[in-house]
Amino acid sequence: MLAGASGALSLPVLTSCTAETASADSVLTGKRWGMVIDLTRCREGCTACMDACRQENNVAFHGDARWDVHWIRRASLKPKDEDSGLSEKSVLLMCNHCDNPPCAQVCPVQATYKREDGIVVVDHHRCIGCRYCMIACPYNARFFNFKENEDWPNQDYPKRSHGVVEACNFCAHLLDQGLRPACVEACQNAGAGALVFGDLNDRTSEVSQLVAGGFVKRIREDWGTKPKVYYIGL
Amino acid sequence: MKRSSVLTEKNRIKWATFFTILILLPVGLSVAGFALSRGQAAEVFLEAPDPRWESCYRDAEYMRFHHMDLLKEIRDEVVRYGIKGGITLAGCGDCHTNRDQFCDRCHEAASVRLDCFGCHYYPERALDRELLRVGMIVQATQDGR
Repeated sequence: MLAGASGALSLPVLTSCTAETASADSVLTGKRWGMVIDLTRCREGCTACMDACRQENNVAFHGDARWDVHWIRRASLKPKDEDSGLSEKSVLLMCNHCDNPPCAQVCPVQATYKREDGIVVVDHHRCIGCRYCMIACPYNARFFNFKENEDWPNQDYPKRSHGVVEACNFCAHLLDQGLRPACVEACQNAGAGALVFGDLNDRTSEVSQLVAGGFVKRIREDWGTKPKVYYIGL
Repeated sequence: MKRSSVLTEKNRIKWATFFTILILLPVGLSVAGFALSRGQAAEVFLEAPDPRWESCYRDAEYMRFHHMDLLKEIRDEVVRYGIKGGITLAGCGDCHTNRDQFCDRCHEAASVRLDCFGCHYYPERALDRELLRVGMIVQATQDGR
């Protein structure tokens, strides 16, 4: 508890996010978090993951679409051509944690960056609120805090001040404690099990097996952003 | 004609005395105030920390003048490099339970705005609670802005 900065340095450090650059070996052996969203299991009208996310991460909800912040949200995808025979689809959208993140590339202050374990995070201390990343993100996964969030359900976790951009971070603080993201946990508890989370570098993990199964798709793979959020039944 | 007769020899001395006193008055008052206040014991500025804890992360002198450097260093370690388990803001709150007495009093005296509590939780300010109670503010804000 009373350990100083030097003490902190000697404490067990997560191999996934140390300062040293990853060598070729550690890229394969280190963790690379990813998620599979099984839309065939996802229930229409269920908001368990979204509610859990708001509770865990203090995501602002003002009740006005102009200012609301979403880390995970549900969107209805309608086919452009009504005669195409495709049906309307309800899809969970979130930060895709791209391997090649456009948001991190454009950030003028390096507030958005990719951790060693592949999670794209925002350093809200550095963010100047220029919103370049919101323009760059092709998935519209980023939201700006136009207003101060007055709700503070989880006081162990900081909320975001007015004037910074935020997005899903795979509940990095929970991962660091060895727990799973709040949405995944909530989805399991709700009995749907549509969200599967794990290490993509670990071939025995559930996500790796699902990805290797070949029934997964990523949103707009042609953009070359290489997302780590995979969809089944997209 | 009349105007030139204002500054006679006698008037000149009177005006000179008046302006001298006018200029020296604030200087004199501050010197007097300083001299009077010297005798008094220094007011306890910060609250006494919880006696359960014997020491801080660093000695008091360092913390008094360099706590912001320490916090920024820790912030970079935690946020950028993922080195966790050391000093946390919540850990400060374990001993220094009263934000009004501990953080805000000094910062308000030094007129330095601290930007921590817009995002990080620290026990609510007693002042905010009171203002909320009497209805002077609608909703208590954590950052005290």
